[in-house]
Amino acid sequence: MRPAKWMSAVCFSSLLLTTALSGCGNDEESDTEKTEIVLSGWGGNPVEKKLLNEVLADFEKEHPHIDVKLNTINDQYMDVLKTRLIGGTAADVFYLDAFEAPALIETGAIEPLKKYVTEEFDIDDFEKPMIDAFRSDGELYGLPKDYSTLALFYNKKMFKEHGISGPPKTWEELEQIAKKVTDEEKQVYGLGVMPQIERLYYLAESQGGEVITDGRASFADDKVVNAIQPIVDMHLKDKSAATPSEVGAGQSAGEMFGRGKAAMVVEGNWNIPYMEDTFPDIDYGTAELPTVNGKKGTMSFTVGYAMNSESEHKKESWELIEYLTGKEGMEKWTSKGFALPTRKSVAAELGFDQDELRRPLVNGASYATVWQDGPSLPIVMNNFNNQFLSAYLGDRKLKEALKDAEKQANREIKVTE
Amino acid sequence: MKMFTKKERKEAGQGYLFLLPTILILGVFVIAPILYAVFLSFHKVELLGGASYEFRGLDNFLKVTFDDRAIIALKNTAIYVAVVVPAQTFLALVLAASLNAGLKGQKFFRVVYFLPTLTSSAVLTLIFMWMYNQNGLINYVLKIFHLPTYNWIGDPDVALIAIMIMNIWATAPFFMVIYLAALQDIPDSHYEAAELDGAGAVQKFWHITVPNLRPVTSFVVIMGIIGTFQLFDQSYIFSGGSGGPNNSTLTVVLLIYQYAFKTLGTMGYATAIAFMLAIIILVATLIQRKFSKEESLY
Repeated sequence: MRPAKWMSAVCFSSLLLTTALSGCGNDEESDTEKTEIVLSGWGGNPVEKKLLNEVLADFEKEHPHIDVKLNTINDQYMDVLKTRLIGGTAADVFYLDAFEAPALIETGAIEPLKKYVTEEFDIDDFEKPMIDAFRSDGELYGLPKDYSTLALFYNKKMFKEHGISGPPKTWEELEQIAKKVTDEEKQVYGLGVMPQIERLYYLAESQGGEVITDGRASFADDKVVNAIQPIVDMHLKDKSAATPSEVGAGQSAGEMFGRGKAAMVVEGNWNIPYMEDTFPDIDYGTAELPTVNGKKGTMSFTVGYAMNSESEHKKESWELIEYLTGKEGMEKWTSKGFALPTRKSVAAELGFDQDELRRPLVNGASYATVWQDGPSLPIVMNNFNNQFLSAYLGDRKLKEALKDAEKQANREIKVTE
Repeated sequence: MKMFTKKERKEAGQGYLFLLPTILILGVFVIAPILYAVFLSFHKVELLGGASYEFRGLDNFLKVTFDDRAIIALKNTAIYVAVVVPAQTFLALVLAASLNAGLKGQKFFRVVYFLPTLTSSAVLTLIFMWMYNQNGLINYVLKIFHLPTYNWIGDPDVALIAIMIMNIWATAPFFMVIYLAALQDIPDSHYEAAELDGAGAVQKFWHITVPNLRPVTSFVVIMGIIGTFQLFDQSYIFSGGSGGPNNSTLTVVLLIYQYAFKTLGTMGYATAIAFMLAIIILVATLIQRKFSKEESLY
């Protein structure tokens, strides 16, 4: 009976093992003539999504050997992307926010693109600040698909009621107008403010201070504090500015503006389609941001296409990027005005510099500060925003709050090293 | 002299052969990851772009001392454990005792009370966030009774309390079921004897029910401690992954998640914190056992 017992043990074990392991097998992909490449991005609004699908369909028509699969990551985009990159399952081509780019470039997960770029692609056509956001040590890691700057949106009706002839040209003028227009009882404020570094960065550095120096937070510098102090004073002293949440408009200055709770807000291109859809009755205009000490300044936000350095179809991936950021693809993508084209030739073609509402945004591109400042910026942003809010609401002095935030940010940066 | 006879070795071999599938699966999915985590916690790890490891000795463990967020996370978690474990244990005991008292419709209520435990915690959190909204149900009810209303999700002073309330409500019924089962084991003769001695309902509860349930209470508290120290999903959903407002819902596990998956190159530090959390839970459990002297029932 011994052998039988042994046999049963062996059989039983191998049976269990095979069931356990059968799940691990991978079905071989069937051979197709087409090369499939995957494109990852976050979902925009339905119209944008439709537009992207149309552009991709055009691309597939021109490149019949390539099949593009669009993969949308709806939430926590960067977390999902990083995890997939580590696991080797990331898309061949993906969206990359300029703000997140430096940290990712450092790791080598992104394919350098310089060697693919041809003469014909005409890389000098791109707005320089936007493409420079994806450069590192002279190498190119992404191509900006679109951008938006910030401009001043003002409510024409409110301006008229108070006898104001036009948008302010300087910060001093803006402060005066804000005071005039404010009606605290009705919860109507002159300026709607998003108390966040990503909106204030250009202002913070307008007096020669630096938010980040050599990868370390340095925003408690007096030059930076003095540069942002007016924003806080408008809220606490003049009481002519407020955040959206103070007037029950959630987290959106656009909503605050649309509901007539702010006569002016500083917003980007995205606010134009938003106003059209949600608040079509508001008569508003846009203007370049008022000058600070006689100097123009604004922020610019850009997203690019980057290639996975572990992609198995690099040639085809480049063909896709080349098309999407090429003149033809970009013209179609930006034709509806959801975002501004990063190619000068496309901007001229589409005539956004003639468009009354978008001209100030387009004009800003040449002097804008791109929202990006090395790998430590995400940590700096979190700490700044956390403490700045308490200073903005008057719980603490600005200098003290920023000093604490700076200390904490630098500790966190040290932890990640 | 041989240690084992041939027959004994054969028997043992057979035994291990039977165990092989389990050993393999445990090894691959439990033991190996733990060993890998030990390895990671002594290195600076960058998994992106071709994994790279750099030996750092105890660096990762020492970083905690100057990481403010780690200290905040530990403080939040400790407060959370200190409030939730006693509250949910007591609530579970009271619920179980009342549902065991032979009231009408108690079977129905047993089912109703158990429902929250069956709901996925993510769904539960979303529903609660909806109710916690500034214009939501809870503030609405508070207003009716002229009580102060709160910005449950946005105010750093109340956000953690909001999560506590939600979790006590959701976890207590699970432990209630365990208590209910244990209550069936208490012999009726004890209660009868107490009644003869003239004990009332409250006295019976404190002097018979509670002492008899001691081993179960010990189990419930240990499971509670382990579960609450590992709070993650509720605060993740509540704060959208940030641990905000102002780090008030930042828990240790959420911090580990952030270091592992959000910031680049801190996987090693994340595993180091995870080990320290495991040690804290171990110590807390040992202390609890010491105090409750569980096995000594009369």
